[in-house]
Amino acid sequence: MVTQKKENKRPRFLVRLLLFIAIIFILDFSIGSLLKYLYFKQDSGLLYRTTYALDSTRAAFLIFGSSTANHHYVPDILSQKLQMSCYNTGRDGNTIFYSYAVFQSILKRYIPEQIILDINDLEFMKDEKSYERISSLLPYYDKHPEIRSIIQLKSPLEKFKLISKIYPFNSLLFTIGAGNADFNKEREYVNDHNGYIPLEYVWKGALVVDSFKMNYQLDTIKRNIFESFISKCRDFNIHLTIIRSPEYKKQKFEDSTIKIVKRISDQYNIPFYNYTNDSFFLKHRELFYNPGHLNDSGAKIFTEMIADRIRKTNKGLINK
Amino acid sequence: MVLVNYFLGLRIDQADSVRNKKIYLISGIIVNLGALVYFKYWNFLLANLVLLFSSVHIDISFPYMEILLPLGLSYYVFQFLGYLVDVYWKHEKAEKDLLRFGLFIFFFPRIPVGPIERAGNFLPQLATTIQFEKSNIIEGGKRIVWGLFKKLVVADRIAIFQSAVMSTQEQQSGITILFATILYTFQVYADFSGYTDIALGTARLFGFNLMENFKRPLLAKNMGEFWRRWHISLSSWVNDYVFTPLAFRHRSWGIGGVFYALTLSFLIIGLWHGSNWNYLLFGLLQAVALMYEYSTRRMRKKLSKRISPLIYNNLSILFTFLYISFSLIIFRTNSFSGASNLIQSIFTHPGHLFYDTPATLLFILIGCLIIIMYDIQSEFKIFRFSLFNNKSWVIQQVSFALLIIYILLAAVFDGGQFIYLAF
Repeated sequence: MVTQKKENKRPRFLVRLLLFIAIIFILDFSIGSLLKYLYFKQDSGLLYRTTYALDSTRAAFLIFGSSTANHHYVPDILSQKLQMSCYNTGRDGNTIFYSYAVFQSILKRYIPEQIILDINDLEFMKDEKSYERISSLLPYYDKHPEIRSIIQLKSPLEKFKLISKIYPFNSLLFTIGAGNADFNKEREYVNDHNGYIPLEYVWKGALVVDSFKMNYQLDTIKRNIFESFISKCRDFNIHLTIIRSPEYKKQKFEDSTIKIVKRISDQYNIPFYNYTNDSFFLKHRELFYNPGHLNDSGAKIFTEMIADRIRKTNKGLINK
Repeated sequence: MVLVNYFLGLRIDQADSVRNKKIYLISGIIVNLGALVYFKYWNFLLANLVLLFSSVHIDISFPYMEILLPLGLSYYVFQFLGYLVDVYWKHEKAEKDLLRFGLFIFFFPRIPVGPIERAGNFLPQLATTIQFEKSNIIEGGKRIVWGLFKKLVVADRIAIFQSAVMSTQEQQSGITILFATILYTFQVYADFSGYTDIALGTARLFGFNLMENFKRPLLAKNMGEFWRRWHISLSSWVNDYVFTPLAFRHRSWGIGGVFYALTLSFLIIGLWHGSNWNYLLFGLLQAVALMYEYSTRRMRKKLSKRISPLIYNNLSILFTFLYISFSLIIFRTNSFSGASNLIQSIFTHPGHLFYDTPATLLFILIGCLIIIMYDIQSEFKIFRFSLFNNKSWVIQQVSFALLIIYILLAAVFDGGQFIYLAF
């Protein structure tokens, strides 16, 4: 009698277990699909700008990089001065992985004429965070097979994690919700100017003097991707300019990444504008938002400078 | 160490005289504490020795060693010591099966962060035959999911905020530092109790019941109660093997004996966490609070009769929580100056509250609220309706499925290590 009862209970347990797994799959699929719909329905904000860069922009002049790219280059000025359409694809907190993935997606659709790649100090440093931040590309894994190799750098298990429909939108619940709400679209900082987000604050702190020589382990994957970026530009005959943005910081030692960038750009004959310890910007604290970022006034002045330099280089190239 | 402790346990058990038993016990204590001191406190001892000599103008130097700390050392050294003392006191028989003894120490779910298991609880379980029990799978699974929620959704989300605030501490306002300080208490609780839930849940899947390590500590009404609810396996270990014997031995000193035993016990708890003065100070702060509570217990009892229990109890919970948060400032900073700077900045840095992004703040607050509501419901049974312990298996299943979905939505999957892994 007891044995019979136990035998009856075991299949019931298995049925309940399967039902539990089924509930999770159904919830994951339905909530994940809803989030995907809402994610791609956004028409403003940070997440939308990545979607726009990957799927829609047709600008002849593109800017790539992290926050220093996004807040330092004003596309309207570049458009006006160089007489070509311009879009800023820079995204806060991202690295060469993000830039290269976006670049690859764009190349699938069209070939831009000119590119600025903004590079930061420590860009080639080996650190886990750079790989974690690849997660900003997860929503595009399905639609963009060309960026999958970059996403898999995050972890070899990533393609298994992506069985979950919710996983690509992890931590984005409230951002997606706000991105679809009307009140959010009225907020000033959400509205970009061809991708550029101005920073409105004047830095009041003292000049930072960095006399510390930082030795760090270099990440060869990052370095190789940087070289691939340059090679792709050469293959498609795109004029590439590499820039290290100005900072309100005096550095006694040159950063290792910048040394490598200098060497590689020389090797490929790519213009590299290095604004480390730039005397003009070091004298103008009012142009900074914080020691690492220019404010809107600073960005406008800096973009004018860059536009003039690029125009001269372009003229030189045409004359040649 | 397993072999040494295994043989010492047998020797203590079989020794024909109290003197011999004592010799074996003392040998065991020396071996275990020696290993702990060597791996964990060696450089700390040398550094302080150099400081001590230099204060009397004697320059000495020692070669500092880079010693790799074995995973979970502090946990299993205390487990070895507890076992030997239990055998010495004849509370337990020495384990004769070496493999079983090894498993008692190195049972995999509890190697990194405990709990510090007792021989009386775990060894008898290892002697029984394991049978498949669906209730073990269900209860173990539930416990793991709840632990994952605490760790990935709450602790690791707060960790991102903490890292943003603490890396720019000088630029942060006092209100931000205060907010970060309060959140740190939730972070440590969610991190450590989250791991414990995962360990206990995993053990349960195999049919084992490890000892509980937390009992809703943030609802404690005084520090004494807090330490009966927080890291129970460590606090009860220190209570049984240090405090009680010491207080008993010095009972003739009256209140002085209790204070002496309390101070020493909490210095051990503090030092157990690591080789730094801040941990000793953390322990001392706990001892001071407990001494205050011991000496004012009659006065507080009278006061509690004059005030409404609702107000008195809630205020007690609030003050206890604030004191824990304050002492955790010392716990988290490596130096006195770091701790005092942090406390000073709470009162001297004006400005707005920095909360990273609104999404970060919402995720943190929702996570903390769920933990607190769960603890309040478990403690006070306010609501008759329960989601996770509902009699209907459908409601239970859907509730846990929703919790898993929320983990997928809100967890930090690229999070760091467990805080208590460092100890």
